[in-house]
Amino acid sequence: MAVTHPEVPGFNLATMTDAMFVRRVLDGDTAAFTTLVDRHAAACTRFATRMLGNREDAEDATQETFLRAYRSLARYEERQAFRTWLFQILINRCRTAAVRRQRRHRMFLVDDHAVASASVRPAAEASDLRAELQRVVDALDPDQREAFLLKHVEQLSYDEMAAATGVGVSALKMRVKRACDRMQWMLREGEASDVGT
Amino acid sequence: MSEPEDPRWLDEIVPELRREVPVRPAWRARLLDEVARASKPSVRADVDDAFGDRGERAFDAGRRRWSVTIGPLASLAAATLLVALGAGATYVAMSRVGANAGQRPAQTAARATSPQLVSGAPPSAAREVVRFELSAPRASHVALVGSFNEWNPVATPLSREPATGKWVVSLRLPPGRHVYAFVVDGDVTADPSAPRAADDDFGSPSSVVLVSSPRT
Repeated sequence: MAVTHPEVPGFNLATMTDAMFVRRVLDGDTAAFTTLVDRHAAACTRFATRMLGNREDAEDATQETFLRAYRSLARYEERQAFRTWLFQILINRCRTAAVRRQRRHRMFLVDDHAVASASVRPAAEASDLRAELQRVVDALDPDQREAFLLKHVEQLSYDEMAAATGVGVSALKMRVKRACDRMQWMLREGEASDVGT
Repeated sequence: MSEPEDPRWLDEIVPELRREVPVRPAWRARLLDEVARASKPSVRADVDDAFGDRGERAFDAGRRRWSVTIGPLASLAAATLLVALGAGATYVAMSRVGANAGQRPAQTAARATSPQLVSGAPPSAAREVVRFELSAPRASHVALVGSFNEWNPVATPLSREPATGKWVVSLRLPPGRHVYAFVVDGDVTADPSAPRAADDDFGSPSSVVLVSSPRT
């Protein structure tokens, strides 16, 4: 059964575009922002979690993102996908959170040997893989991690990535490639150390 | 740097990285509570309020903002210089128009009388008529929504054309790219005869119409 918006009788909520909900919020229907939250919060939380490496910082960054988006909604231009605009804010929030964390001396691990030696493998294979991947992602340089996650996890196009990050397409492609090369190398090293143990 | 030897490794890890991080209900409730208490969206919200602060440029130190502070006397001197430069530029431009006028009189005249270029002309003068049509024989109501009518589902209804049975409406639109969709009995639907807006993630896909400048 189609879900209808309470203030637009007969309107199929599931088929309404993000731009339509933005317009409704700007027209005074604050509740319409709930739909935008529900549509995008999971992806934002995932990106922030992968980017920042822990759930608490990710939730803070995502919450701040939605609040800033709400307050600045009138500045959103419909020629850009709402998701891209939202990620533009989220990326900046994650960058800021990373800088704050560095200031708190909770540095990302960037040394491959440190990553390998820090590996403590859980028993279950699925969580083992998940933890291993997060360690590998954490070990990337932040700009490479950001580009890799946007491209391969959030599946943005390079044009969308450029709009969201303010970085040129060529530079983004290079970052993604370097991230892939580095991740592949680290995963192979992990396998080799498994065989050796 | 060469391509990875085996791109399949990505196929193995990406599903795991794409695994959803569930939104906690308590977090969602707190966020919506904050939104309800926040000030209403405003066009006056500063860009920095949305897009960041000093931390945002942590990874891209190449982007910089520059500001210059000058005193009153320097301001006066700068204004005088700008006026002088403006007068000089106008003189040069007029000289070039005069030189070109002999070579391309027809084009100059056409440009001068183009509605798009007439100073003080109403905005509608620069618009082109665009006809939208949709074949939806079973529909009882069809409307057009888009960036040009603020996605208002009651602003632009289509009417059924007796001869063809198609739903049609004609609009005057300014030149540029317009994103739009049809609303067929409440369902938002892309125009099957137009290119899709490439970036839809939720809801129905939208379509794109490119309106060129009015012909002269």
